[in-house]
Amino acid sequence: MKTISKYYPLLPVLAVYFIMFLVGKNVSGMWQLVAMLLFYCALGQAFNIFLGMTGYVDFGYVAFMGVGTYGMAVTITQLAHVEGLGFLVITIGFLMALLFSTLLSLAVGAVALRLKGAYFAIATIGVNEGLRFFIEGARIWNGSEGLIFMAELNQILGRKTASALATFWADIMVLFIAMSAAYVTLLFMRSKIGYALTALREDEEAAKVMGINVTKYKIIAFITSACFAGLLGAASWALKTPYVFPPEVFEIHYTIEAIIIVLLGGAGTLLGPVIGGLIYGLSKYYLSIYMPGFQLLIFAPIIIVIIVIFPEGIIGMLKNRFKDTSLARFII
Amino acid sequence: MALLELKNVTKEFGGLVAVNQVSLEIDSGEFVGIVGPNGSGKTTLFNVINGVFFPEKGNIIFDGVDITRLPPFKRAPLGIGRTFQIPRPFSSATVRENVAVGAMFGTLSKKVNVDDSLEIADQIIDRIGLHEYTGKQAGTLTPVEKKLMEIARALAMKPKLLLMDEAMAGMHPNDIDQMVDLIKKIALEEKIAIVSMVEHIMRAVVGMVEKVIVLHQGSKIVDAPTKEALEDPKVIEVYLGHPPEETHAVS
Repeated sequence: MKTISKYYPLLPVLAVYFIMFLVGKNVSGMWQLVAMLLFYCALGQAFNIFLGMTGYVDFGYVAFMGVGTYGMAVTITQLAHVEGLGFLVITIGFLMALLFSTLLSLAVGAVALRLKGAYFAIATIGVNEGLRFFIEGARIWNGSEGLIFMAELNQILGRKTASALATFWADIMVLFIAMSAAYVTLLFMRSKIGYALTALREDEEAAKVMGINVTKYKIIAFITSACFAGLLGAASWALKTPYVFPPEVFEIHYTIEAIIIVLLGGAGTLLGPVIGGLIYGLSKYYLSIYMPGFQLLIFAPIIIVIIVIFPEGIIGMLKNRFKDTSLARFII
Repeated sequence: MALLELKNVTKEFGGLVAVNQVSLEIDSGEFVGIVGPNGSGKTTLFNVINGVFFPEKGNIIFDGVDITRLPPFKRAPLGIGRTFQIPRPFSSATVRENVAVGAMFGTLSKKVNVDDSLEIADQIIDRIGLHEYTGKQAGTLTPVEKKLMEIARALAMKPKLLLMDEAMAGMHPNDIDQMVDLIKKIALEEKIAIVSMVEHIMRAVVGMVEKVIVLHQGSKIVDAPTKEALEDPKVIEVYLGHPPEETHAVS
């Protein structure tokens, strides 16, 4: 009984995803929107593991999605001529995405995680921009011309399967990544890792003198978060749109969106990034339909107002409100 | 053998010598007060002992192990606990979770899991008398409650040595007496050596410590049993200036 009740907080998360899936599948013309929302929810959940749990702001977060996208793209272009691999190529692509994002996060983490606050944030912007110009300048993976692998994907999977992958199955993979990120977040929260991360987020020096190896736990959160970003890049960017250009995948805009989603929903909460992703995605979508061109102008003050009214995010606020009620065990 | 031994420890910040050639010994279970005016190097000395700063010169030996170059997170599990002058709670976590963090990471045992830690936390919270606040967010406590919580958090680490940084500052005299009694009782039971830093509140020192170490401009000037130390002319000079000679002549 106790082991099951441990997983109660996952229920609202899964419920939201289930409803999204049903709406997307059954209401015609909705799948595009649902796919976008799933992407934002997954992005928020992946980033929350680092930003929300450690309190460190990584402005170069999108770089992990970028290298993940390249991991998948490079695998597909390299293995396209090998006969009979089929879906194995996609699996290898995901593994390469994991490998690339792990390596990058280790390299960045080992250096940048020694810095604190604003210094860390600035250093990570440098990493993102540096990586982009390095790939372009050194002409790695075709440099600024990018990789276009529509033909290769068709060759590997067949035209029909490749198209089904781009329009449906890639989104299901994003959904799966989002749910895995939620599960890992809960595991962290319930383990020593979560306690260590909370302690170092609140007061790093006090955490150190209480015996917490803060660097170790920061790196654990950093790598985990980066891996999910890599997978997300591979699924949502490489498989959905079979091309990759450096300026698009190292676009800092996505990092900012991820930060907004996490703060809006509630940094460090389990359900927060899902709600944040929903609100952000929906408002972005409908504002761009009804007031095209003005969406950012309208969106900015809305975000400011929400963050002023609920500094702990929407779920952070609900968590405090329902603290001593039976709802408390579902909202964390 | 002494529990903590400092040998000629020097810590400099640029040209400023914050701790100058300090040697001292603390025995296990001993209650020691570190006394000295503002800027005399007390906090730096604490930070050198628990590893926030590494000394330029000298050695620190704790429980027979040279810990001079050990980072703080490795020193804490050896048995060095610490409370801060201005409490530093993990604000968003509850009191129970705060104390559990101490039990989880502050001991050498790798087997303490989350559930065990929470149980240990409950016991300690009961002992300190913070029972009614256990589910409250630490950031919402009053300063006195935060101080008690910090002590509970440090005790959860099962320390052999507890460094208390001006723990009584800003407290009501009644609260001070209560807290001194409580700390003394627990420390005696657990055989914890306590090094308490005192800037202003002498009554807390006198009531609690057996030995006083007086720092002045980074150097140790007195290291003696409490009564003796407080009557030492050097201490009086540091705190009150030169005694007027004429008064002596008249009387």
